[in-house]
Amino acid sequence: MNMVSETNPVAAGAALHPCWSCKGPVANRALFCSVCGAVQGPGAVDHFTRLGIAETFEVDLRELERQYFGFQRRLHPDRFASRTPRERALSQQQAVALNEAYETLRDPLKRAAYLLRRRGRTVDIDGAATVNDPALLMEAMEMREALADAESPADVSKIAAKADAEVLACQCAISGALGADDLDRAANLTTRLKYLYKLADEARARKAKMTRPML
Amino acid sequence: MAYSDKVIDHYENPRNVGTFEKGDQDVGTGLVGAPACGDVMKLQIKVSAEGVIEDAKFKTFGCGSAIASSSLVTEWVKGKTLEEAAAIKNTEIAQHLALPPVKIHCSVLAEDAIKAAVADYRKKKNSEAAE
Repeated sequence: MNMVSETNPVAAGAALHPCWSCKGPVANRALFCSVCGAVQGPGAVDHFTRLGIAETFEVDLRELERQYFGFQRRLHPDRFASRTPRERALSQQQAVALNEAYETLRDPLKRAAYLLRRRGRTVDIDGAATVNDPALLMEAMEMREALADAESPADVSKIAAKADAEVLACQCAISGALGADDLDRAANLTTRLKYLYKLADEARARKAKMTRPML
Repeated sequence: MAYSDKVIDHYENPRNVGTFEKGDQDVGTGLVGAPACGDVMKLQIKVSAEGVIEDAKFKTFGCGSAIASSSLVTEWVKGKTLEEAAAIKNTEIAQHLALPPVKIHCSVLAEDAIKAAVADYRKKKNSEAAE
């Protein structure tokens, strides 16, 4: 009945709680009770366990997508149209939890921050904390200045391509740092990745603006 | 979200945009960033022998609120002593510009930037005195 339990026996997700409907044992990560088949609310499991994939930075995006859409299909509102209000509500809560897990894990920046948080390190990619890393800030300032000074679409394209390459290199470095359990370095690189994303975004926006009148 | 008139004014006509020579002995540089927006802000002060800020410049890559906050701070610190400049609170900046709650961190960034610039200038002076 349950796809997750067969593919990925993770301890956290294998923990049991009683089904709200039949009181039978059901895994925290399960969408449905294996005894009575009733849909379950989202259990207290991490994003990786929820989507039934291994906890690593090196996520296979195709597998992630397959798992996510597979689960979402089983929670489609049409399947619950004739069910009780409680079951409809639980299926929606499950869908929301799966969404959040998917959105977090498919984005390398959010995934890196999430993995760091799981290991007790907070990287504030959304918060108000001020970065105080002179080397990182100097690099960010120089790259943004270069973009501001670029005058031709070709120059902007060059910066955009460089930003994209730096994004990939930074992701590789994050993977290495997390693999080596070097959390300081991984946290630092994750903040850098946020700045590189911003640079790549700005370069794309600038390019679009420059080329628009020619359309 | 609507920006206040003061934010738009500073955003469209930023005051004191530019750069001083970082290595000059009478210049203090503060470089700060907020990962939330991927913003980066540079704020520099030129200080007289009496310890009064004669001029200030900034360069900010960020949203309208971040640009307005740093622009406003460069206006405010001119003529102030280092102590007075370092005592500027983000709440004063946010209040003056009527920043909405989601943009308060931009004013925090500007406060951090002026503090960093003052600290950089003092560090320079101290190492000069030690020589």
